[in-house]
Amino acid sequence: MMRLVPRFLGIISLLAVAAAAMAQSETTRFVTIPYGWLKFLIAFVLITGGIALAAYLYGRFTRPGKALQYAGTAATHMFIWLAILLTFYPVIYLLAVSLNRNNSITAALPTTGNVLFRSGVLPDPSKFSLIQYQTVLGETNLFWYQWVLIGVFILALVAMIALFVAQRGGFDPYRLERWRTYTGWVLFLSVGVLVLSITADQFYTINEAGERVRSSSERKIVLFIRNTLLVSGLTGIFAVLISTTAGYAFARMKFEGRYQTLLTFVFIQMFPGFMALVAIFFLMNALDLLNSYIGLILAYSGGAISFASWIFKGYLESISPSLEEAALVDGTTRWGAFWRIILPISIPMLLFIFLLQFIGTYSEFILANVLLTGEDKWTVGIALRSFTFNRFNTQWGLLAASAVLGSLPILAIFYSFQGALTGQHQAGGVKG
Amino acid sequence: MIFIDISRPPSDFLAKKRKGGKAGLWQSIALLLLALGIATIVGVAGVWVLQLFTPQVPVYVGLVFGLLALVLVLQYIAQRFEWIMPWYYLLPALIFLFTFTVFPVVLTIFLAFTDYAGIRNGELSVSTETAIVAVDGQQLTIDNARTLNCDALQGSRKGCNNVRAVVYASGRFATQGISLEDNILTVEPAPPAGRNVTAVELLLPDFGFRAQIPVTAVEGNRLTLGRSPPGEISLEDISLTLDRISIERRILSLEDNTLTINVPLPTDLEYVAIARYNDFGYIGAANFNTIIRQANRALWPVFRWNIIFAVSTIIINTIIGVFIAVLLNNPNLRFRNLYRTLLIVPWALPAIITIQVWRGFLNTNFGAINRVLALLDLPTLNWLGDPLYAKLAVLLVNLWLGLPFVMTATLGALSAIPKDIYEAVKIDGASAWQSFWGVTAPLLRTALIPITLTGFAFNFNNFNIIFLLTDGGPPVDWGTATARGTDILISWAYNESFRAQGGYAYGLGSAISILIFIITLGVSLVNFRVTGALKEESNT
Repeated sequence: MMRLVPRFLGIISLLAVAAAAMAQSETTRFVTIPYGWLKFLIAFVLITGGIALAAYLYGRFTRPGKALQYAGTAATHMFIWLAILLTFYPVIYLLAVSLNRNNSITAALPTTGNVLFRSGVLPDPSKFSLIQYQTVLGETNLFWYQWVLIGVFILALVAMIALFVAQRGGFDPYRLERWRTYTGWVLFLSVGVLVLSITADQFYTINEAGERVRSSSERKIVLFIRNTLLVSGLTGIFAVLISTTAGYAFARMKFEGRYQTLLTFVFIQMFPGFMALVAIFFLMNALDLLNSYIGLILAYSGGAISFASWIFKGYLESISPSLEEAALVDGTTRWGAFWRIILPISIPMLLFIFLLQFIGTYSEFILANVLLTGEDKWTVGIALRSFTFNRFNTQWGLLAASAVLGSLPILAIFYSFQGALTGQHQAGGVKG
Repeated sequence: MIFIDISRPPSDFLAKKRKGGKAGLWQSIALLLLALGIATIVGVAGVWVLQLFTPQVPVYVGLVFGLLALVLVLQYIAQRFEWIMPWYYLLPALIFLFTFTVFPVVLTIFLAFTDYAGIRNGELSVSTETAIVAVDGQQLTIDNARTLNCDALQGSRKGCNNVRAVVYASGRFATQGISLEDNILTVEPAPPAGRNVTAVELLLPDFGFRAQIPVTAVEGNRLTLGRSPPGEISLEDISLTLDRISIERRILSLEDNTLTINVPLPTDLEYVAIARYNDFGYIGAANFNTIIRQANRALWPVFRWNIIFAVSTIIINTIIGVFIAVLLNNPNLRFRNLYRTLLIVPWALPAIITIQVWRGFLNTNFGAINRVLALLDLPTLNWLGDPLYAKLAVLLVNLWLGLPFVMTATLGALSAIPKDIYEAVKIDGASAWQSFWGVTAPLLRTALIPITLTGFAFNFNNFNIIFLLTDGGPPVDWGTATARGTDILISWAYNESFRAQGGYAYGLGSAISILIFIITLGVSLVNFRVTGALKEESNT
């Protein structure tokens, strides 16, 4: 298989060259720097070479043995920055579009200024504006207590950041840990109550005649984020609730049929969720659960259980059973040992399972698309798709602003728990 | 004297005496199934009883009844058979797995052998309602056979043969009035007991026409009218409209306008109309035959691209991801943690959103990507409109999305390689290049194989990237309406099942799903064999 790689890459590059010849006549309306790629390449090589040379010379005079290594490290920095540029270009472009007055992707380009803006490679900075965010958020009518909740949330967020800074500053980590737990709960509860309290009726404007006009779907992104958070959150909680007891039984109990059941769990995990899509639609139709969150959450949780129990089982096997055994000797029941000892010590693991499920559900599209038919129940992904598909003209600016807002929750969670989410994922993955 | 075997764990002595027979696998399953069976019966019966009183009660309320019954039954079983306890810890997970994963899969397999589709969804088709002209035993003469639209059911059966139908009996009841006081009308004979009277038709001699007046209440032969009639009425000629009664029958055959039904209708009612169900039925392997018949236009091209996509996306992502990870693994590189944090950002953004944003970037005339290419004097491409470039676009966006995962996983694997190996080969005089190919590469390969296989299984069914980026398109002349330029098996199945151009052919979609499952199962089995994830379990 590995021998095919160069051949495949060769074919791709050949095709790209052939396409170049065909597409050449089409490029007239774009701003072009003649031989731009060559100039960029030469500039990159020169700068990289220059920096590497400088590092080499520096090494030559300070630690001669390490001079080559210095040059290599300097060149590595340059390559990494190129990779970062390529990775971040879409992100920066999206942010810039969301902060621009132009709503249409076909808007005219400026004729003066930096070539990056004239060519449209980056949106025109002179058109900077918050109008897209004002539009998508402007028709959200919050009640006073929802504003209070937002205030509490922001305060808790600030407190969390302050605690993080304080830990860096060398404060007692144990006392900080306790405060962090409290702040975490405040954060979680304020978001939770906010999510539960927002309803579809809060999205309207009042026209000249004094009547309420329900907002169009582009202006309800807060509702769609709320819907997605609700579904993802409840699915995460459900998956944790159901899979912890199963993981505990697999890890700690001996009974006839343990191995067979474990095998069943693992094989069921292999069924692609889609495989059952038609049948889940059929099942939800029969249960009157179409276009309801209950149906969607039940279906998601069903798909999450085997993976979650498998991870929890692995976690329990990695910690010593001596604590429970001591409690059992002292006369606790099995359930007591599970409830009072196992659950408290596995809270970090449960949080991890919850977050994994939360993030996975947030990005799920197909099941939500099939089961949720009413506009007010849409999740972020379905709403964004409705902005772009089957539309004469995509509202590009509004789409960008909605995409940025919709990404924020996951971005925040991911970077807050980065270590756990990237490290543990892989540990779980290696185990199966 | 009491001997205590100290080699046994203390929990052995704590275990209480087990009562209630043998603790076998089958006994446990039988008990659990019994409990679930009782719960199901209670749930179904509960909904049925509730719907007798309030017909609007949604079916899922039965789940609540079932749950209550289940708790009670389980409580009883636990008292009799104590060894069942471990299964109680598994039960919630098992119930969910079987309801929302195993049962749907079994149902999918069943549906693959039926012609279940949008126009054959098993529900009553109101639009097929046709007037009944005459009734003669099992023979019904209907007004217009075309309205019944039996051709739509062609597939599992011949037209309407053996299709469920509903015969509506309405309600006209001729009677005579005795008296009219204000809005209370007394009639003789009284309307049949147990049927609702919805309206009354009265002849108004002063105006010379008949008027319909709604009836709000019936008590024996006294009818309360919604309003009092506008003038004198003729008491000799009164006609009551009774509510519709629907009677389920099965159509045996239809010839011209004559229908034969399986059981004669009751004779004391007047029949006005008939409507049929959108019945679906067993069609054997016909769905698979359809797939094979058009294999050259759908199955083979789609399958080929599916394999090429999954394999090449993994190869591209792994090569570039490993390259960057090896660069980042250099301990002399400053800011390497910052770099890793920055490069991970595509993973931290929800793919469901970024893929759709990429769709805008790849716009041929106004997209950011073509503008960058044009600025660099490189050819601009018709990314989403040309089948070849659409495939290239899918691979590129998937590289952007998947790179952080490969990079992080490789960094993890690299950090797990013990440092003293490097020191040992260094002492033996190996260069950095030699130690990379001699130590790092082989150790990395072992760690990367399971990641690659998992990635293959994931991308093989990566519906989101295809559906949200290219929507399976563009259409190509060698394909079909549902299998287009970048469709993979799973998006093809989706198009067949849930889209108008596939005719909502759920049965056909299920058949494709089975093919997908067989392939995924194969890959997963290879993965288990390679990683040995299950081996340690079978020993315990």
